[in-house]
Amino acid sequence: MNRDILLTNATTSPESGIRTEEMLLNVGPQHPSTHGVLRLVVKIDGETIKEATPVMGYLHRGTEKLAENLTYTQIIPYTDRMDYVSAMTNNYVLCHAVETMMGVEVPERAQFLRLIAMELNRVASHLVWWGTYLLDIGAMGPFLYAFRDRESILDLFNELCGARMTFNYMRIGGVKWDAPPGWIDKVKEFVQYMKKELNNYHKLVTGNEIFINRLRGIGKFDQKTALDYSLSGVMLRSTGVKWDLRKDEPYCIYDRFEFDVPTATEGDCLARYHLRMAEIEQSLRILEQALDQFPSEGEVMGKVPRVIRPPAGEAYVRIESPRGEIGCYIASTGKDKPWRLKFRRPSFHNLQILPKLLEGENIANMVAVLGSIDIVLGEVDC
Amino acid sequence: MSDLLQQTPSWGTALWFALAAVALLLVVLGFVTYAIYFERKVIGWMQLRIGPNRVGPLGLLQTVADVAKLLLKEDTRPQHADKALFTLAPILAYAPAFGVLAVMPFTDSIRFADLGIGLLYYIALSGITVLGVITAGWASNNKYSLIGGLRSAAQMISYEVPLVMSVVGVVLMTGSMNLRDIVLAQQDVWNIVPQFLGFAVFIVAAQAELNRTPFDLPEAESELVAGYHVEYSGFRFAMFMLAEYVYMFGMGALVTILFLGGWLPIHPSLSFIPGIVWFVLKFSLYVFFQFWVRATFPRLRVDQLMSFAWKVLLPLALLNILLTAVVISFQNGMFS
Amino acid sequence: MLGLAKGLGYTFKKLTEKKVTHFYPDVPFPMPPRFRGIQHFSPEKCIVCNQCARICPTECIQLTGKPHPDPEKKGKIIDTYDINFEICILCDLCTEVCPTEAIVMTNNYELAVYSRDELYKDLKWLDDNNTNVREEN
Repeated sequence: MNRDILLTNATTSPESGIRTEEMLLNVGPQHPSTHGVLRLVVKIDGETIKEATPVMGYLHRGTEKLAENLTYTQIIPYTDRMDYVSAMTNNYVLCHAVETMMGVEVPERAQFLRLIAMELNRVASHLVWWGTYLLDIGAMGPFLYAFRDRESILDLFNELCGARMTFNYMRIGGVKWDAPPGWIDKVKEFVQYMKKELNNYHKLVTGNEIFINRLRGIGKFDQKTALDYSLSGVMLRSTGVKWDLRKDEPYCIYDRFEFDVPTATEGDCLARYHLRMAEIEQSLRILEQALDQFPSEGEVMGKVPRVIRPPAGEAYVRIESPRGEIGCYIASTGKDKPWRLKFRRPSFHNLQILPKLLEGENIANMVAVLGSIDIVLGEVDC
Repeated sequence: MSDLLQQTPSWGTALWFALAAVALLLVVLGFVTYAIYFERKVIGWMQLRIGPNRVGPLGLLQTVADVAKLLLKEDTRPQHADKALFTLAPILAYAPAFGVLAVMPFTDSIRFADLGIGLLYYIALSGITVLGVITAGWASNNKYSLIGGLRSAAQMISYEVPLVMSVVGVVLMTGSMNLRDIVLAQQDVWNIVPQFLGFAVFIVAAQAELNRTPFDLPEAESELVAGYHVEYSGFRFAMFMLAEYVYMFGMGALVTILFLGGWLPIHPSLSFIPGIVWFVLKFSLYVFFQFWVRATFPRLRVDQLMSFAWKVLLPLALLNILLTAVVISFQNGMFS
Repeated sequence: MLGLAKGLGYTFKKLTEKKVTHFYPDVPFPMPPRFRGIQHFSPEKCIVCNQCARICPTECIQLTGKPHPDPEKKGKIIDTYDINFEICILCDLCTEVCPTEAIVMTNNYELAVYSRDELYKDLKWLDDNNTNVREEN
């Protein structure tokens, strides 16, 4: 580790002759609001942050290296553990990359199931964010309400694929399970329920004056900075860039559904809060349409060879995860294992702007700014 | 009790005092035990949980078990902590919180010292609590607790000003600082009606004085882990916890006395219900409000906290004093 | 102020609403039919094809076979079969590749033990773990 970050300046005030020193505060890796095992080495002057250096790698498992010794089917469970809050999108990005390389046709019904699973997972992921963010801000009620509703989604997933978080649901060429009988109706019911519940969320939090005043104007950055730091997802859209891969580079069957890409121009934490709430709404809208058009029958697995061997070459695909642009790069030599696999993890890229945002903020804002980036440490460290 | 106080001091009276103090302490401890239980239950219900339900029937012994655990825990102290201050801090925080109860008239007959300046005594003594908090923050030799301690120093001292200012209106109306006189002056109408502005300021400032949501910055768990008592565990931590709840007991009693008419019934026709019941009812209402707020609100930010005290609460409290003074002068015929 | 009042109103309404928690350790929590719990292994079905051990992403399955005791019959029968639940991630791939459904998932999920070596489950244990066996695999 770079030892320089541990040095602090001591100065003596010319008038009073009192020696003052910056204080070095280690936030994390065990701290209630670093959302996992992120460590921030923060130099503070009083409560004002002079410099913040994120230290990461406490959850590094070497997924990309491990993948080089695994067949493509075996990598899928590993992707579940990257962004464990929305594992469906991770599943999808890997399968999508391999399918693109091999030119596999995915059946219609499987496409619908994938899309429904991904959008449900997006709602679940934003709910986790909403709850934990409010917990960071100091309100503990919303956390429980958010997790109650997320629980319904996890139960739905549990019925669909037999696991609540590490789904391992998608396969190259399709999905593992068809929807169980009655499942689609249950999802429909949930979508209607969630629409109503979302209004309650707004009632509880969005109008709260303490909440608004705490977030307005902090963690602010402009469009150019966002692009320079290659931010994606809500972090980018909060500065006014209308960029959503579901719209701009449609994958799966997103081009068949109507939805808006909410954007804001303020670029502060409050804008990001509003965007995520609006995204839940849009996801529910997509779900509603997808559930209505869900094909009554069909295959869920396309025609794939027994051993998956993508042709020699390389491919990069990217999709919109709840956190931003998640990409998967595969270099293949025509074997059943990738020669090199690389994930572009949105949390990792979005986290890079943190030191810049924290400069000059105080400790209370540190928590709010970090929370608004919406990182998942499993994905940052990978 | 007041007769005893008038007598010439002797060993006998001293024994009585000690017994009465212990009796009050037991009542307070009982309150704290069940306030914590009640808090966890209420917040649990609001969050669609059932709250403690494993220890004893309906979980009624949960707090008892928790306290027993704290007492049995190893007494740990950080190596580089300031030994003397580290030990002193919990006592410094707890003693004034209990001391203020001496002047509380719970009913016309159940009361201890009947001080002429009861209100002033309360406010003066409660100002000492902050010393305990700062001492704890400093002596722990921990960066988080230091920040927590300094935050609470700034917060509690700032909020004491509007707190005191908001009750000046009540004192003006009653013409006395004796808490019993203040209650008796509310026979016709409770102070909450003519002094609503003062009441509102008092409730907000009291919340900050108690370090409770939305002003729980000194122990903001998501920022400072646990604030000034990060390094405390076992019985010393229990003392801080106790101080917090006893202080809440004191503040609840004070709100009841100052603004909600103390032991007086809602309507004179209901006076067959004993005063202590009325007192407990009003007091519980305040305590419930505390928990309700805790289940709902997020926390304020440090810089907003200070400006809120000085730029919003203090002017409002001063305005309240001015209005009260004008009205009283008008009633006394000063303008005719 | 209105926003604060609305929030207080919302939480107050929740006070009497139906609670959503489960009495988990007292009342067992049922899992849906597809749930991926601890595997059940039936040795008589196993043909020692090694596919499960090969597909396992964490290499937690170890098995050995022996020649069929009946010299008339060809093939092998299973001798030892161990799953290391310290590293098994219950990903379902072993049950997916098994051609004879010798290894299947169950709905049992309670794996907490006092010692880590108890997490090495052998053939006998996995054979006895025959309750709530999953129907479709």
